[in-house]
Amino acid sequence: MNEFLQFTLGGVSFGMVYAAIGLSLVLIWRGTRILNYSQGAMAMLSTYIALTVINHTGSYWEGFAAALATGVVLGAVIERLVIRPVENKPPLNAVVVTIGLLVLLEGLAGIFYGGQYRSFPAAFSVTGLHAGAVSLGISPNDLFVAAAVLAAALALAVMFRYTSAGLRLRAAAFNAYAARLLGVRVGRVLTLGWALAGLIGALAGLLVSPNTFLYPASMDSIFVLGFTAAVIGGLDSPAGAIVGGLILGVTLNYVGGYLGSDLVPLFGLAALVLVLMLRPSGLFSTSHGRQV
Amino acid sequence: MTGPALAVEGVIAGYGGVLALQDVSITASPGTITAVLGANGAGKTTLLGTISGFVRPRQGRIMLDGTNLARRHPEEIARAGVGHVPEGQAVITELTVEENLRVGGLQRTGRTDRSRALADTYQRFPQLAKARNRSAGTLSGGERQILVIARALMAQPRVLLLDEPSLGLAPKIVTQVMDLILRLRDETGLTVVLVEQNARSALAIADHGVVLNVGRVVAAEDATLLAADVALRRHYLGF
Repeated sequence: MNEFLQFTLGGVSFGMVYAAIGLSLVLIWRGTRILNYSQGAMAMLSTYIALTVINHTGSYWEGFAAALATGVVLGAVIERLVIRPVENKPPLNAVVVTIGLLVLLEGLAGIFYGGQYRSFPAAFSVTGLHAGAVSLGISPNDLFVAAAVLAAALALAVMFRYTSAGLRLRAAAFNAYAARLLGVRVGRVLTLGWALAGLIGALAGLLVSPNTFLYPASMDSIFVLGFTAAVIGGLDSPAGAIVGGLILGVTLNYVGGYLGSDLVPLFGLAALVLVLMLRPSGLFSTSHGRQV
Repeated sequence: MTGPALAVEGVIAGYGGVLALQDVSITASPGTITAVLGANGAGKTTLLGTISGFVRPRQGRIMLDGTNLARRHPEEIARAGVGHVPEGQAVITELTVEENLRVGGLQRTGRTDRSRALADTYQRFPQLAKARNRSAGTLSGGERQILVIARALMAQPRVLLLDEPSLGLAPKIVTQVMDLILRLRDETGLTVVLVEQNARSALAIADHGVVLNVGRVVAAEDATLLAADVALRRHYLGF
């Protein structure tokens, strides 16, 4: 029972990171109908920036802020320079472009930072918490991870529902033609969507890197799991991505805990295949049928 | 007599090799309703798309109060004061009625200005006030037509383009929509360009009429004169 509690709580912490990556993919998918394969690589790059800043200033939080700012700028610049030319083109163009970007960003990271594994600091203590004599299997930092992702998701939800920028984002995502008719500058709105996705992705990179080490391909498997979380949620639904991330994180932690950690990547991929086979529109999606 | 609110001058436009508009010129005076009539494929919808920037004219000018809008982006043309209600009712079905209206008012500056526009809209369209928190996807065809017109008005356009507002609506609702267009002209001095297949109801409320045939203007006169021209009616308008 105690073990079960540990695996569950630990899974929530992992799941929130998958949820954050999933959320960033959903933001881009809703706005541009593009699956951004370079989302993980973007997060990796902004985490390297954080590491550089932390090493220079000695302050974790300055590095944290620098990574988030990098994520915003990277998202906006990539949308303007690389994605804009393939928007409204056949979907395969965008697939090729974002995979090319993934290879490019990982190559650049290798050139500038080298390929070796680097440890990345955690924001808070990683020693396990106890409730009396019972070990909970989670640390203060795990609590921070969950709180940070939840806070980001809540802030996004509030922005979408209650601000003009959020209304523009939703109008452009649901019906770009009608939005244009009404004077919404859809191009700028898409840039904003990518910037927000870059921000959430950068947050995921910061939160997961203390566990995974940082190297050019360090976010690859996290990306696959984040994508799985988004697909479970239907790829269209921000709330779905969060729930999908939690389901996936907890399930994979049971697999790792009870069956052995070697099986985790295998089960992650199996989960993706299963969801795509059994319920391709996701558990929470409102739309039915989609061309990929 | 002041200058026209909207003047389309010598516009040539089309898709690929097909020229849907071949040297088309029309003018709309401030505070009037101009009906654009003609058979299917005459170029009526292309004309509206060219004015609002979704179709790029190859030649010609689109003058709004003396400013040339030709070749600008649709969102900039909308911001300059052209409201376009397209055929097929472009409601954003995933948003609520109120959110649809708020998108229409986004380009207005200032929070109070926006909420006043919303209050005015609900006063003018009580049926929208009742449905304000419903998803726009649940509205009937007639309600959707009212919503897209009200939404376009939220931006306070100088010229309103209406594409087949009566399409697919029951006769009783067509009358309501036509009455609404008349009231808007009389109460707010709105300039309206009305594209219609239903020539009879359009000419009944229009001040001027323009008849298009295969991309060219074949007649442009007073609506009453057009309606009285039996030969023209038989030949181009089918009534």
